[in-house]
Amino acid sequence: MSDATQVAAAASSRDPAVGLAAVASLRVLLESLEELQVGNARDQGWSWQQIAGALRVSRQAVHKKYRRFGF
Amino acid sequence: MFERFTKKAQAVVVQAQEIARDRHDGRIGSAHLLLALYGVPDSIALVVLEALGVSRSDVEAGLDGPRERDADVLATLGIDLDEVRSRVEEVFGPGALEQTRAARRGSWLPGHIPFDGEAKKALELSLREAIRMGHDYIGTEHLLLGLMHDGRAREILAPRGVELAASRVMVEELVRRGRRAG
Repeated sequence: MSDATQVAAAASSRDPAVGLAAVASLRVLLESLEELQVGNARDQGWSWQQIAGALRVSRQAVHKKYRRFGF
Repeated sequence: MFERFTKKAQAVVVQAQEIARDRHDGRIGSAHLLLALYGVPDSIALVVLEALGVSRSDVEAGLDGPRERDADVLATLGIDLDEVRSRVEEVFGPGALEQTRAARRGSWLPGHIPFDGEAKKALELSLREAIRMGHDYIGTEHLLLGLMHDGRAREILAPRGVELAASRVMVEELVRRGRRAG
């Protein structure tokens, strides 16, 4: 963390810009991790059904989202 | 103004937009434009930059770290992005977290990324550089000269000994020698 004081101040503030930006960044991080893990699972021969089960979503949802990725 | 841009100069602007998007930067700055010059091959600007000994990696090094803002805001949730990144890279290799489609899409940014004040000024100055030389088009060479005046791009170029006056002479010489506009 570049500036601990600044970060601490941001954490304690009620500024919606900070809170919303954190959620947005978290979402991108989540999506990025999911993509890596789904790709890895497919590489290891997991079915869409298995992946969906582990992610606790429907098979259709995960397949629809990732079928274009060439996994 | 953009209607006067050569194809290559237009490609540079598009490239700058893509660089900003890939880096999740909310604005296109002068440094993005400078870096974008390297993304369009065979231009007068590249001949000049090469002659001045300024490499792509020099310019890349001059840009701020791309995910700084994400790291800062995630820290407010107690998430250490550097730690997450290093653990992900242990499994998936260097740069894995940034190379996913999700990360590159930068979905929280609008599709169109605006120019910041510095970049706008640099574009206006490139027009002036073209007029100054009596050219009725804006090529990559004029963009490069426009970037030398001020701002982040200048901060990257100046320590490497790049000077506006000498660069103008070089551009004029290249144009006179019939190097195709671009």
